Amino acid sequence: MSLILLLTQQMCVYLVIVYLVSKTPLFKLFAESSKRLPHKVFIYVVFSLFCILATYFGEQTTGAIANTRAMGAVLGGLLGGPVTGFFVGLTGGLHRYSMGGFTDLACAISTTLEGLSAGLFSYYLKKVGKEESLYNPAWVFMVTFAAELLQMSLILLIAKPFDQAWELVYVIAPPMLFINSLGAAMFMSIVRDQKTMFDKLSSSFSTNALKIAERSVGILSKGFNEESSQKVAQIIIEETRVGAVAITDRHKLLAFIGIGADHHLPNTPISSKITLDAIAQNKVMFADGVDTTYACSISTHCNLGSSLVIPLRSNDEVVGTIKLYEPKNKLFLNINRTLGEGIARLLSNQILYGRFEQQKNLLMQAEIKLLHAQVNPHFLFNALNTIGAIISRDPPMAKKLIKQLSQFLRINLTRTTGLVTLADELEHIDAYLAIEHARFIDKLEVSIAIPAIYHHHKMPAFTLQPLIENAVKHGTSLLFDEGVIKVKASTDGNDLLLSVTDNAGLYQPSTNTEGLGMNLVHKRLQNLFGERYGIEVHCKTDEYTCVQVRIPLDEATL
Amino acid sequence: MIRCLIIDDEPFARQEVADLLDKHPDFDVLGQCGNAIEALQQINQHKPDLIFVDIQMPRINGMELIAMLNPEQMPRAVFITAFDEYAVKAFDNNAFDYLLKPIDEKRFNQTLDKVRSNMTPQPMENILPSQLAHLPCYIGSKLKVVTTTDVEFIVSDVGGIHVHSNKGVSHTQLTLKVLEEKTPLFRCHKQYLLSADAISEIEITDSGAEVTTHTGAKVPVSRRYLKELKQLLGFQ
Repeated sequence: MSLILLLTQQMCVYLVIVYLVSKTPLFKLFAESSKRLPHKVFIYVVFSLFCILATYFGEQTTGAIANTRAMGAVLGGLLGGPVTGFFVGLTGGLHRYSMGGFTDLACAISTTLEGLSAGLFSYYLKKVGKEESLYNPAWVFMVTFAAELLQMSLILLIAKPFDQAWELVYVIAPPMLFINSLGAAMFMSIVRDQKTMFDKLSSSFSTNALKIAERSVGILSKGFNEESSQKVAQIIIEETRVGAVAITDRHKLLAFIGIGADHHLPNTPISSKITLDAIAQNKVMFADGVDTTYACSISTHCNLGSSLVIPLRSNDEVVGTIKLYEPKNKLFLNINRTLGEGIARLLSNQILYGRFEQQKNLLMQAEIKLLHAQVNPHFLFNALNTIGAIISRDPPMAKKLIKQLSQFLRINLTRTTGLVTLADELEHIDAYLAIEHARFIDKLEVSIAIPAIYHHHKMPAFTLQPLIENAVKHGTSLLFDEGVIKVKASTDGNDLLLSVTDNAGLYQPSTNTEGLGMNLVHKRLQNLFGERYGIEVHCKTDEYTCVQVRIPLDEATL
Repeated sequence: MIRCLIIDDEPFARQEVADLLDKHPDFDVLGQCGNAIEALQQINQHKPDLIFVDIQMPRINGMELIAMLNPEQMPRAVFITAFDEYAVKAFDNNAFDYLLKPIDEKRFNQTLDKVRSNMTPQPMENILPSQLAHLPCYIGSKLKVVTTTDVEFIVSDVGGIHVHSNKGVSHTQLTLKVLEEKTPLFRCHKQYLLSADAISEIEITDSGAEVTTHTGAKVPVSRRYLKELKQLLGFQ
């Protein structure tokens, strides 16, 4: 009976050590199957030590040693595979052999066989894809039990004299069988629990990170400001459950949510030193409240006790910070530190993308403005010349033309790059065509057949007018005969199609100015509505050029 | 009397010049043309002393038109432009006469004075295109512009000048001499100009050679030009 207690004591010492190790990063080495050599060597060293120590601490019983060596050999085999198991067993066995006693040879051989058989069993489990069963304590119990039965049998077979061996086995078999099996099973159970906990933790970490990413996508890319920061801070605090979340730009607080929100007010200048340092040094700053003290720079009653400040970067330049806080009575979790840095990277990318988009848009708008503020000088001076010629022979006509020219110029100069109705666009076209008609009299015929139901349809300003101008400038005005331009509307599924067809057929894809204007219209429509919208050109040389605008019929997409 | 022709594709613009000229009885307006092809016909026919020519015209612009004229029958020219920075710069550099639209009457009158005092056409070689990218042609009464690179050969006979391109035959007012100078086509016969790119086969004959073009047409090469042709094609 006392033997059981002694062995249990021994086992407990091991289990305590194992438990402590399981709290360190080293435990990962037990929780993963070893595939690489350094890992196998590690397993070998650890479990060989187990065996040796077990022999040392073993209880001298009737000329032999009652011990927990089997635990080491079996676990070494299970975790390290047959080869590692064999060597663990051999090392433990040789050590036992060196201690002498009438069972020395039997113990040496049996320990080696225990390691090897456990290794073979683990190999078998891997082969049949049941690797997870390795960590099942019940299995481990049985394997160890079987291994110990083997040892006992070998002692009976090999140790001489048999009588003494039988007496020994009679005394040590029950405690050793039981304690070794139980110890090995408990060892595995500890490893398994740690493994499960770690898996759960990392899966909740990933879930958190993914949720934040999913919920915050697109918010900051629309602009890095108070409004968007507020939304993102809300998402982060909901997903991480830290004490408080703050987002700043380089100079002031943009958003603060959580504990201390009463005195950390958005739109106030940054006051904490660690934030300013994070910005100045472009470095993650962490005040855990223990080694580095954290004290709120605004209020002495502030309950926040630790803070993590991570710079937000656009390219390499710091554009702001994101800060996570925990109150004084709560530890700042390591996981939240890592998560915080991940969030910062995510937000930085969004800010960068937003800036890029913004610049692209600005550039495009500037291009459009430039293009349209620039009234074709040829058109303008020819129009003035025409009016000059008409003025003395037909003053009312001249007056009308001046009015139409003014209207055309006014639309061109004042119209924004925003949305207008098709009716607006047609008004612009009418003013333009009135002048062209006067210039070319009977050489230009334009028919516009757009049903009134589409007149209130919205589209970007300067969608249709430049196409008509192109049709005249690069099409009909180059004809010796009469130029005919037809403007039509039709539908194709859920798309509205507007087409401008001339009878010149002189479209050349490479024509510079024409290409530029049309490309801009095309790009703008694609940007606004999506890739499949925009402009399409069909041309049959010397017969016709048809330019077709495709926009969604459903205005809800605007 | 100074006989003039007004060339502009906009009717009111032509009318405006005609109206301004009305006040000067020593100028007589022979006619008005809406494009370069008509203008070429009229110039060949009426041989005006002075042309008012708009630079911006369909297909063949004012500059190209002047480049197409025979140097012997070159009239005095006054350019008109609504807005053409490059042309205006060139005119200023070469002291050519030009008018800006809308036409300022004072400047118009000054220009007429200049023309009266000196009727000699100004040498314009350095601002005119040296090669013609397009040839003004007609088929029946229909005007047509033929791209120079499409032309296989050009033949002159009593009926006029005929342009054979890979898209058919048309006729032109341009002379063989101008065409020889201002296009990559070369002379292969007294009456023929040939494009080197159009040659498919050459057969030596008693009188020289006969070229078959890609479209299958036969073009005679006289002995006089055979050597040049062979050199051109790298046979000698």
